[in-house]
Amino acid sequence: MIFLIQYDRPKGRIVTIKAFENSARLDAENSRLETELDLNRRGITHEVVLLEAASEDALRLTHQRYFEDLKDLGQIAKSATSREE
Amino acid sequence: MVRIIRDQLNLDPTGRPAKSTNSVIEKLYRESIRLSQVQDIAGCRVVVADVSAQQRLIISLRDVFPTTTVIDRRADPSYGYRAVHVIARIVGKSIEIQIRTQLQHLWADLSEKLSDVVDPSIKYGGGESKIRETLMILSAQVAEGEALEKALTRRRRKHVTKQYKQETQKFREELAQWKTQFIAGFNQAISSLESRKGQKQ
Repeated sequence: MIFLIQYDRPKGRIVTIKAFENSARLDAENSRLETELDLNRRGITHEVVLLEAASEDALRLTHQRYFEDLKDLGQIAKSATSREE
Repeated sequence: MVRIIRDQLNLDPTGRPAKSTNSVIEKLYRESIRLSQVQDIAGCRVVVADVSAQQRLIISLRDVFPTTTVIDRRADPSYGYRAVHVIARIVGKSIEIQIRTQLQHLWADLSEKLSDVVDPSIKYGGGESKIRETLMILSAQVAEGEALEKALTRRRRKHVTKQYKQETQKFREELAQWKTQFIAGFNQAISSLESRKGQKQ
């Protein structure tokens, strides 16, 4: 899957997330460009990024920053240290 | 590349076909370099359980991609950021593969989130000194915990003496103690940093 994410950095929140099939790579790239141009025209400085992952769960694991709030990181810290040796 | 890592190494990387335009512009300004010198325009990220898995993956990637450069930020952290970046040359292009352990990833997420919601310069060593100090302390604590994990992983002998067992038990106890202290310290840091949201954008 290819995910197009528009992220509001100061608020630390996703504005939009759109999923594309891997076969629709060109559509995803065009959509990214359109989003960037639109935001640019409107003077909005959101981060726009394309990411390719097996699933949204896989994406959430490697790019949790887009999905989690600062306070959620405490819970993630707990699970990151809860593995048995 | 994502497909190669997925199929040949049985991992679940997230690929980034290209950096966001804003990130490229920021990097060009920050490092006074040309576009052709930006190494990590395309790349991917893999999060693995621990340093042993990280080490194994570096070796595997070097087997799969013959032309690689390894940047080990565990030994030489960048403003507290610890990870391993493998730069692979594929069809004349440089592709960056970020390999982070869960704990390194947790720290990086905290640093990035603070850069988002408090001050964008934090990620590159800027921002309020108290925040920088907190991040550096947490980074050092992660390194300490990972050193303990690594030491414990090495103790896998089948036939062991009583002394060996006692030493291994001591490592386990130290690691358990480290985990408790780390989680407490991490949560305390988050609580104090939450109040700084929106401070400088």
